[in-house]
Amino acid sequence: MPSNSVALTPGLASFLKSLKTNPIDTSIDDLISLLKRRQIRHSRSCATATAYLMRSVISATRTSDANKLIERVQYVGRRVMAAQPREMVVGNIVRRVLGLIRDEAEDDREGDFTLSEAGSESQPQTPRALDDPSEVLSYRHDGSDRSSSRQPFTSVSATPISMFSLLSHPEPETSLPGTPASASPSGRLLGHSHNKDIRAEVLDGINEIIDELGQVDDQIAAYALEHIHSNEIILTHTSSTTVQKFLLKAAAKRKFTVIHAESYPNNHEATHATVSGQAPKDDDMLSTEAFQKPLIALGITVILIPDSAVFALMSRVNKVILGTHSVLANGGLVAAAGTRVIARAAKVHQTPVVVVSGVYKLSPVYPFDFDSLIEYGDVSKVIGYEDGDLVDQIDVQNPLYDYVPAELVDLYITNLGGHAPSYLYRIVSDHYRKEDIIV
Amino acid sequence: MANPVDPALTSSVSASQPPAPEMQPAVQQPPQGASASKPAKQQPPKQPAKGKDGAAAAPAASGDGAALTPAELKKKAKAEKAARRARERAERDTTGGGAPGGPGGQHAASAKKGASGPGGAGGKDSAAAAQQKGQKQQPRRGSAQATPQVGAAELKKKQEEKNVSVFGHLYGQQRRTTIAGAGKEVHPAVLALGLQMRDYVVCGSSARCVATLLAFKRVIEAYTTPLGTSLARHLTTHLSHQITYLSTCRPLSISQGNAIRALKLAISSIDPSVPEATAKSSLCDFIDSFIREKITVADQVIAGSAAQKIQDGDVIVTFAGSSIVKQTLLTAHKQGKQFRVSIIDSRPLFEGKNLARTLANAGLDVQYSLMNGISHAIKDATKVFLGAHAMTSNGRLYSRVGTALVAMSAKERAGGVEVPVIVCCETVKFTDRVALDSIVVNEIADADELVTIEPVQQLTGLPDPAAPAPAETKKGGKAAASAPVESSTASQSTASPLEDWKESANLQLLNIMYDVTPAEYVDMVVTEMGSLPPSAVPIVHRMSTNL
Repeated sequence: MPSNSVALTPGLASFLKSLKTNPIDTSIDDLISLLKRRQIRHSRSCATATAYLMRSVISATRTSDANKLIERVQYVGRRVMAAQPREMVVGNIVRRVLGLIRDEAEDDREGDFTLSEAGSESQPQTPRALDDPSEVLSYRHDGSDRSSSRQPFTSVSATPISMFSLLSHPEPETSLPGTPASASPSGRLLGHSHNKDIRAEVLDGINEIIDELGQVDDQIAAYALEHIHSNEIILTHTSSTTVQKFLLKAAAKRKFTVIHAESYPNNHEATHATVSGQAPKDDDMLSTEAFQKPLIALGITVILIPDSAVFALMSRVNKVILGTHSVLANGGLVAAAGTRVIARAAKVHQTPVVVVSGVYKLSPVYPFDFDSLIEYGDVSKVIGYEDGDLVDQIDVQNPLYDYVPAELVDLYITNLGGHAPSYLYRIVSDHYRKEDIIV
Repeated sequence: MANPVDPALTSSVSASQPPAPEMQPAVQQPPQGASASKPAKQQPPKQPAKGKDGAAAAPAASGDGAALTPAELKKKAKAEKAARRARERAERDTTGGGAPGGPGGQHAASAKKGASGPGGAGGKDSAAAAQQKGQKQQPRRGSAQATPQVGAAELKKKQEEKNVSVFGHLYGQQRRTTIAGAGKEVHPAVLALGLQMRDYVVCGSSARCVATLLAFKRVIEAYTTPLGTSLARHLTTHLSHQITYLSTCRPLSISQGNAIRALKLAISSIDPSVPEATAKSSLCDFIDSFIREKITVADQVIAGSAAQKIQDGDVIVTFAGSSIVKQTLLTAHKQGKQFRVSIIDSRPLFEGKNLARTLANAGLDVQYSLMNGISHAIKDATKVFLGAHAMTSNGRLYSRVGTALVAMSAKERAGGVEVPVIVCCETVKFTDRVALDSIVVNEIADADELVTIEPVQQLTGLPDPAAPAPAETKKGGKAAASAPVESSTASQSTASPLEDWKESANLQLLNIMYDVTPAEYVDMVVTEMGSLPPSAVPIVHRMSTNL
C-alpha cells in the first residue's frame, strides 16, 4: 500500500504521524474525533494513541508544577475519555499517567525530605499519633505547609480536598509502611520550585508505558508453554493478536489443535485472514503483525467453525483461550460479542477458560450497569442492503461486546503472569492510584 | 429447521415446476442450470473437470442439432463421451461408495440388500457394482481410466486431510452435485427433489419428509409391477433406488427415515392377491393420511397447544427458522396475544431471515440478531421456543447447530432466573437412536458454504452469467462484454481469505448441521400427543411405532 494512502486514511498511523507536527490542541481534537468516529478502535490502538498524546501534552505543558500538570492531564483525559467511554483503555492510560505524575511528585518530596530534613527522622510519628481523623485525612494535602510551619490546619491548602481522599487511606498505596517517606508527615508542595525535572521523569514513565504496549503480547506469550501442552485441543474466538501470539509461541514447541470460531459478523474477515495466514489489508495495527506466520504454517491443525458450532465441539475441547476488550476490577471482562456463550458453554463442559490480556486493559471500573458497557454496531453486517425491506420491519441488533462475569473465567494471563479473577482487584490497586479512579 | 410445510408444497415436487414462491428465499443456487457453474469445487473427487464438461455440454449439444461444423461435431462427440464416462463412474461411486453417515445409512444398506434380491433390469447393474466394491475398485475399461484413477486417489487423500478427524465417521460420500449418473429407475420427481434438498430449497425435517412422501406417491403412481414378481416384493426394491439416490443428495432426516419405514411396512403388508391398481391407490391413500396425521394435523395441534403457552407481554426467543414455531407464533398472534419475538440466526443458512420476514409481514414485533447477540437477546426473554430435527431416545434435542447454545443461555442466565425452554416437535421426528453429544450423530455439510460470506444469491434475476455466456459470445459482442464484467464483480464481492483454503495445509473448515441439546435444558416437548417432558420421548416413540 502506498504511503500516501496511509496518510489519507485516518487512523492510528495517521494520528501518530500528525502528532509530531500538529499543535497539541489540534492533536487532542484530532484524537477525540478519531475515537468518536471509531477510526481508532482496538484496545491497543486506543492505548497507544492515548499514550503518545499524553506524552505530547506533558512535553507541551510548560510548567514544573505537578498540580498544574495533573490538572492539565485530567482536563485532556476527561475530554478524550468522554469521546469514547467504552474504550476503557483510554481511561486506563490517563490514570497511569496521572499516577506517574503523582509518584514523581511524591518521590521528589521524599528526595527533598531525605536531603533537607534527614535529621528530623525521629519525629515522623508525631502527627500520626494524633487520632484526629481530619488531621489524618488532610495531611497529605496540606502536608507541605506543615512541613514548613507545622500547623495542623491551613485554610489555603485544606480547601481543595477531593471527595476521594475522604474515602482513601491516607497513605499512598505505593509507598511501603515503615519507610521514612511514608511515615513522615512532611509532604512537600507538589512540584516545589526545586523539582524541575518532574516532567522529564514523567515523560520517561510514559515512554515505558509505550514500550510496555509494544511488548505486552510477547510477554504474555512467554507463559504459553505453561498452559498449552501436546495434543490439546484449544478453542478460541476472534482474531486477537494476543491470542495468536500466545498460540504461536506454544506452536513452536508443541503440536496441538486449534478450533477457531469465526465471530461472524463483526470480526470474521479478520479471523479468516488470521486463520489462512493472509494479512488483512486495511489494518492500521502494527505492521509487524502482518509478517507473522499463521499457525497452520507451523504445522498446527486449525479448524474454522461457525460460532453456532461451539457447543457441539466443546465436549472435545481441552481449553478455551480468549482475547478481551477490557478487563474490569471485579474479574469480569468485556469482550467481543459471542464470548459469553462460549465461556458459558465451556463452564457447562467443565472446560477451563483462560483469558489473555495485557495489564493495560485492566480497568479500575466496577460494572454496576452492564448495559452501559455494551456497544452496538453496524446493523448492515447482520442484514445486508439486499434485505433492506426487512430492516424497515424488524429490529435488527448487532452488539459488539459481551460482558462475561468473573465466575466464567478460570484464569487470567497478563504480562505479569497468571492470576485468578478474584485477584485482579489487587493488580488494579497496584497500577492505579485511588485518587485517580475517577479522573 | 423447516421451511413451510403445507399442501402448497405438492407443486414444488414435480420435476418441471419451479419451487413454490415462499421457498424461493432459501435458494442458495438455482438447482438445475447453475449447478454446472459451481460444481468445479463440489464435484466428487473422482470426476474432476470432465464431469463438469459433460454436464454442461450435454444440454447444449441436444439443443442445437441443426447446423454443426465438423469441429463442433467432434467436440460434441467428445463431450458426449466424457459425459458417458463420468456418468458411469459416478454410478459406480453412488452404488459402490457405500452409505453416507447419519440416518441414511440403514436405508442405503437396505437398498443394497434389495438390489441383490430378485433384481429387475436396473437392479442387476448396481448389484454388480456393489459387489465390485468389495474388491478393490477395478477400472472397468482398462488403460483409459488408469491415469485419472491415480489422480483421484491423490485427490481423495487431499480431501481426507481436509476432514476434521473427530467427525471422521460422518464424512461419507460427498453430496451429489448433478443428476448425472443417477440410476435410470430413479423417478424424475425424485431426481428433482434430490437436487432441491441438496440446495436447501426443500429444507427442514418435516418439509423434507412431506416432499419425499409426495415424490414417492408419484413414484408409486407411475409404477408397474414387472412380470414374475409381486408388488409387495418388488416395489420395496424400486423405492430403495429412489431412497439411495435421495440419500446421496443429502443424508436422510430422521423424519424421512421414519416415514419411509412406515411406508415400507405398509407395502410389505399388502396382500399379494390384491390387484395392482387397488394396491397402488391404497398406498397413495396411506401416504396422504400419513402426511395428514403425522405432520399437517399434528402441526396444527402442536401450534394450538404451544400458542396457549404464550401470554400477553411475553418475549419469545427462537432460533433459526422452524416451521412449527412459526405456525405457533402466528397462531398466538391471531388469537390477539401481544408479545415480542426475538429471532437468533446463524451462518451459513440464515434460516431465521425467512421467519423474521414472515412474522414481520404478519404484523408481529420482531427483533433479529445473530449468534453473537444471544446473551443480549436472552436477557429479557420470558420463553424460548425451539424447533427440532429430531428428539433422541435419551431425551436430547437434535436440532440445527446453535440450538444448544440458545437453550443453554436460557438456562444459565446471569440473573439466575431460568427461562422455560419449550420444544415443538411432531412425534414422527422421535427416534430410537441415542446421542450423548453432537459428534455421535450429525451431518457434515459442504465446508465451502462457509467460505462465501454472503449466500450467493442472484440479485438481478439475470440468468447465471457463467452458463449461457459461451453460447452467446459469437453472436452479440454486447452480451459477451457484460457477462465477464458481472462475473468479475461477483468474484470480487465473494473474494475471501479462505478462498483457497483447500490448498493451505493444516487448515480445515467444519460445517456441521446439527447439535445435541442436553435434556436438562429442555423443559417441555409439545407434541401432537400432548406436552411431555423430554424423558417421555422413548415411551411415546414406542407407542407410535408399535401401533
